[in-house]
Amino acid sequence: MRLAAAGGASVAERPGPALEFPSPARTIALYAALPLVASAVGLLALGGTAVGVARFLPLAVVDVSLSFLRMTAAYAASLGFALAYGYYAATHRTGERVMIPILDVLQSVPILGFFPVAIYFFVDLTPAVHWLGPNLASVFLIFTSMAWNMVFGVYESLKTLPAELKEASDAFGLKGGLRFRRVLFPATVNRLVYNSVLSWTGGWFFLVEAEIFTTNTSPLAGIGSYLSFAASTGNLDKFLAGVIVLAIVIALLDFLLWRPLGRYAERFRYDTSPSGEGEVVAPVRETGGRFRRAAAYVTRGVRTSVSLISTPLVQLASITVRPVRKPTEFQRSVFYYLALGAILVVVWLMMIAITVSVFRIFTGPISSSVRHQILLLPLAMGASTARIAVAYLICLAVALPLAILVARGPRASRVGLPIIEVVASFPATALFPVIVFELIPYIGPEGAAILMLLTGMIWYLFFNLLAGVRSLAPDLEEAARSFGLGRRQFFRRVLFPGLFPALVTGSITAFGGGWNTLIVAEYLNVGSVHTLSVLGIGQQIDIGYAEAGGLPLMVAALFTLVATVLVINELLWKPMYRRAAERFRYD
Amino acid sequence: MALIRVDDVGKSFPGRHGTITIMQEISFEVKDADFLAIVGPSGCGKSTLLRLIQGLDRPTSGSISFRGTPVTTVCPQMAMVFQSFALYPWLTVAQNVAFGLEALEWPKEKIDAQVERYVSVTGLDGFQEAYPRELSGGMRQRVGLARALAVEPAVLLMDEPFSALDALTAESLREEILQLWGDPALPPEAVVLVTHNIEEAIQLADRVIVMSRRPSHVLEEVVVDLPRPRDRKSDAFYALTDRVYSLITEGGGPTAGPAEPKPSPPQV
Repeated sequence: MRLAAAGGASVAERPGPALEFPSPARTIALYAALPLVASAVGLLALGGTAVGVARFLPLAVVDVSLSFLRMTAAYAASLGFALAYGYYAATHRTGERVMIPILDVLQSVPILGFFPVAIYFFVDLTPAVHWLGPNLASVFLIFTSMAWNMVFGVYESLKTLPAELKEASDAFGLKGGLRFRRVLFPATVNRLVYNSVLSWTGGWFFLVEAEIFTTNTSPLAGIGSYLSFAASTGNLDKFLAGVIVLAIVIALLDFLLWRPLGRYAERFRYDTSPSGEGEVVAPVRETGGRFRRAAAYVTRGVRTSVSLISTPLVQLASITVRPVRKPTEFQRSVFYYLALGAILVVVWLMMIAITVSVFRIFTGPISSSVRHQILLLPLAMGASTARIAVAYLICLAVALPLAILVARGPRASRVGLPIIEVVASFPATALFPVIVFELIPYIGPEGAAILMLLTGMIWYLFFNLLAGVRSLAPDLEEAARSFGLGRRQFFRRVLFPGLFPALVTGSITAFGGGWNTLIVAEYLNVGSVHTLSVLGIGQQIDIGYAEAGGLPLMVAALFTLVATVLVINELLWKPMYRRAAERFRYD
Repeated sequence: MALIRVDDVGKSFPGRHGTITIMQEISFEVKDADFLAIVGPSGCGKSTLLRLIQGLDRPTSGSISFRGTPVTTVCPQMAMVFQSFALYPWLTVAQNVAFGLEALEWPKEKIDAQVERYVSVTGLDGFQEAYPRELSGGMRQRVGLARALAVEPAVLLMDEPFSALDALTAESLREEILQLWGDPALPPEAVVLVTHNIEEAIQLADRVIVMSRRPSHVLEEVVVDLPRPRDRKSDAFYALTDRVYSLITEGGGPTAGPAEPKPSPPQV
């Protein structure tokens, strides 16, 4: 017997074609107009000539193509790595305990600081083929800017795969390749596409640096070195031609690849949310083999060593400043930040002491000028931290209203978002020479450094906040409206608390971007005349790299920076993240 | 011979303060042509029991066998219908229905024919290429049902299949399940339904296993010997529902005996 065909059941919507392009004409116009307008503004403002620019276009196309190949190679490697690493970490408990903390550290340390080391390594690795080493190095460096967030994407989407989907695949006996093809891989697609966009954005940002850094040892043709040379020789036409071609390529990629892919990937989101009786959920088993325990000890050890330094200091701080009355929230937070500052200073001194003594033992005495620089490190690190904090506040002041505007206004979203997306994925590093070139007379070196930091931080904050505003549960907003909440109250009681988790995530990633950008934002040589150099940890790393016998300085600076990032992650962001997850989540 | 034999099964999990026992001393049989319902209060482990039966999870004590062979891994002769449908959002209706058949490595043409058949049996004609998110809840559960039936299981396991649906949709789907059940040409030789809806159990099943609160055990096995289709307004139907209801609300302590004498059901 047949069931009555779809009697009471109704269909929400007929399936449409797989890929849809809403009003393609308008979008194309928008995308075409963007680079044109940008270049026109550039020409007018900076005094280039159209003929001159046209002359350099072919060269720019070749160089952008070379860079694009590098990006593609790095992306392919990242994709493969992300799937393998993420899959293994998500499905093997033992691996997970070690792999995820490692990834956590890899993601938060400023990779840019390790560029010089990586270049030496890859160039030495392939001495026979002279072009291979630098290319491998630059692909590897781009890879480091792409891979981690994709790994997290794979790992998290596999970990959050609804239990019933896993169970159904077990129940129907799917194994091996079929299981991967039908269940596990599709489960990662949505996040992978989303994170790939971020990875390409980050990749372009790093590509410029990768090629410039690499060219110190041997020339590497690409849009990064092209722009850098154009800027350093003061060739404005050449520079503009490069910027225009790069902007067009980025806009095309966004329009032809990422937007359609993004729409396609929507399908891979699991949003069936049944309301059911709460069954007993099996508690997670904490038992395991010897290896599992060993792995747990290793990761715990890493964490303990950080808290070993920090906990007594926090306690010390809270003892010395213990007030008679119960401290207010504000006082508590002030004490907390003071304690955090004290911890950082101690950690910095420790890092310096360790590096210096290691170098003393293994390589002999350190030259007095380098020693002098090393002693400056705590001051430099403090200056950098302050600089990042200022840049962060500016970012917040811009990104928050912008995100609310774009997310809540349909028009702003339709017109503004594509523009912002292309602008955001254009590598600001390519413009750094111009910032140094043109703006230092107006805003000073300090202002230029902060401006460059801004460009490396703001988009992380903006896109996280945007996602936050968008994912705000509509019934919360409806409830607010039905209770007649005013505009101000709505912002205070609904929007900001609702945004808090996104704000925390955005801040963490923005700071990550900031630490990375430090390396170029504090010390930049454009040609022989224009040099930017402000006291900071990025500057010290660069000086250590450039100066003869500067290796101890570079290593000490790197350690100081990494330690700072880890301490701030552990003592500031993670507690805040946990709080956000507990108090402000709505599901 | 019994199709499924659940023999003195217990299940417990290690908790923070010692072991948490979900169920203990559970024994019953599923016979050929049996429509068995398992009812019990929230959290009594009904769904866990269903998962133990298919071999998705292993019991802590006791044993479960299917046609005399102990169930140690996932049993391919059983198929599950999930409360939350558990449809893959990236697969079309047809691909979701083909899901289990691909795992059985059927040849492509055979899969296509089978999918076509069960899509049509469950009233999904014309929706083969739709994605789950484009379907209403009732339609989604039809896909879940088609996916389970397509592998032609000996036993169909249903875990609260109607509780995520609205009352009207659930009612019409229940009736359609009964019509299906009445068709000897269609696969399952037996059905095990887990539900917390007592009326639903009595409307559909031949026998109802009533479980107690946690740590749960079988309170009683109630035989429903009413002819189908069952009139829910009849006295006999009401008496049965009332009996199961009192069993659940009154029985329940870990060591309580099977059935205390029940007050006679009030007349309507």
